[in-house]
Amino acid sequence: MQTAAISETTLLRLQVEDLLFQEADLLDQWRLDEWLALYTEDAHYYVPPSDVDGDTADPDTALFYIADDHVRMRERVIRLKKVGAHSEHPRSKVRHIVSNVRAHREGDVIHARSSFIVYRSKDITSDAFVGHYLHEIVEAEGALKIARKTCVLDMEALRPHARISIIL
Amino acid sequence: MADFPRIIDDTATSRFLVPRQAFTSNATFQRECAAIFDRCWLYLGHASELEPGAFLTRKVARRPILFTRDKDGTFHALFNACPHRGALVCRERKGAARAFMCMYHGWTFGSDGHLMTLPGSSGYPEGFKTDPQKQMVHVPRMERFGDFFFISFARDGEDLATYLAEAGDYLTLVSEHSASGMQIVGGTQEYAIRGNWKLLAENSFDGYHAACNHSTYLEYLKNANGALGATPLVGVAHNLRNGHAMVEYTAPWGRPIAHWVPLWGDQGKAEIAAIHASLEQRVGPQRADRIAHKNRNMVIFPNLVVNDIMAVTVRTFYPTAPDYMEINAWALAPREESEWLRKYRLYNFTEFLGPGGFATPDDVEAIEKCQQGYATGGDALVNDISKGMNREGGPLFDDEEQMRCFWREWDKRLASVEA
Repeated sequence: MQTAAISETTLLRLQVEDLLFQEADLLDQWRLDEWLALYTEDAHYYVPPSDVDGDTADPDTALFYIADDHVRMRERVIRLKKVGAHSEHPRSKVRHIVSNVRAHREGDVIHARSSFIVYRSKDITSDAFVGHYLHEIVEAEGALKIARKTCVLDMEALRPHARISIIL
Repeated sequence: MADFPRIIDDTATSRFLVPRQAFTSNATFQRECAAIFDRCWLYLGHASELEPGAFLTRKVARRPILFTRDKDGTFHALFNACPHRGALVCRERKGAARAFMCMYHGWTFGSDGHLMTLPGSSGYPEGFKTDPQKQMVHVPRMERFGDFFFISFARDGEDLATYLAEAGDYLTLVSEHSASGMQIVGGTQEYAIRGNWKLLAENSFDGYHAACNHSTYLEYLKNANGALGATPLVGVAHNLRNGHAMVEYTAPWGRPIAHWVPLWGDQGKAEIAAIHASLEQRVGPQRADRIAHKNRNMVIFPNLVVNDIMAVTVRTFYPTAPDYMEINAWALAPREESEWLRKYRLYNFTEFLGPGGFATPDDVEAIEKCQQGYATGGDALVNDISKGMNREGGPLFDDEEQMRCFWREWDKRLASVEA
């Protein structure tokens, strides 16, 4: 019996999907320390606003919703675990749906593009964040780590949402 | 006669109470539209947002506005509706255009709203094209204060400078951050809160809530190496008249306009010192110190917030219902700012401010929980806004005098219209 060869591209996509699905699962379960451990020490996490080109916008020259370096990602996690993070205490129910994953290599960096819907439910209200992720992934210590994640909202504005108090 | 919930303002007994119906009643909301949003000067935009030949569309108090700058540099505020059948003429958020064509029948207008061409003009009598009623309608009044543009839907009333009263001085002060002019940085934070708009007016200059509501932000500053300076959080409130008010205070966070914190390192220290020196030269040492070291949270009645804090934010918010508002927030910065400092300014901004910051989400939570709490009704029918009402030496930044200024104006204006 012959096994169809899995192409390099497909294999890469499967590896990347594993990572993205793991990330989504950890965020849905509020396992934030483990989520942070998926990232490199010099990682960045971005959410650009809706009135600029989110794929190319630069957080040093345009006002973003979120522009975290690794220090602030860590502090975000610390904050979200506190009772004093009122917006997420009690915690929202969160569900990340990730699909349409495409990945390709450029030198040492894997660039992944995917679609997301993230639901945040609390106070008898569910808000959906819709958009696409741009992940930059590198291999470190034999594992894939995320070096950069940009969450581009495919929305006209953050409405009726009031906040991105969860991690997208 | 007045059938809206009046405030109770009694200095003798230090009582200042706002009925919770002010946040929930539909009739009150309709009355606010007539008494406030159809009468007051409302913020439209900043000159730096429009180069000659550019335009942007924006809703102001639920009305779609087309804000243009013609090729000669003149600014225009037009109601964004076609005089023919009323469709939105411009359907884009921003861009550059010399003419705007309505997509329905092709009527085409200039940047100043005049009707340039219309297809099938043989079907109309002579002079039709120049009939004043066939032109796009200008907002009744538009005025600028420095680079800040305001509009009013009322044909009569005081001019903008009179309306702004002492708030104008602080718009000037914030403009003086720059020798070459302030600019709106690209990117708008556009969000919404499921709460009454007046809750955000109160919250925008509430000096009392930080310690409890923003404990995690303050802890973060302590944690983040060197983000927290040694400056204490102390200050006062100022009544700027006509419902405008401000709190002014020192604070431990860094200010990209010349208040250094250790996080910024030696390079930052040198750059900040240079900015301070040039400020001194331009406006004198006393005013330079005020600009550099004092934080100001100002609410210009009814709904323009200019907060000159760890960054400068310009923010408006409009209700579409008693329990829902839409917020637009921008970052304002000196044009000549170095790349390094601009980066820190924006880093500072997103750290505290906006829907993804370390503080705003908790403000939102407080506002939404107030709105939800008002559903209790029962005996708990009023909010207490009396803190520091008779404090000797005047109100402090964490008292509530600034909110009382807002509420007195609100009460006066609502009382002045027929229900």
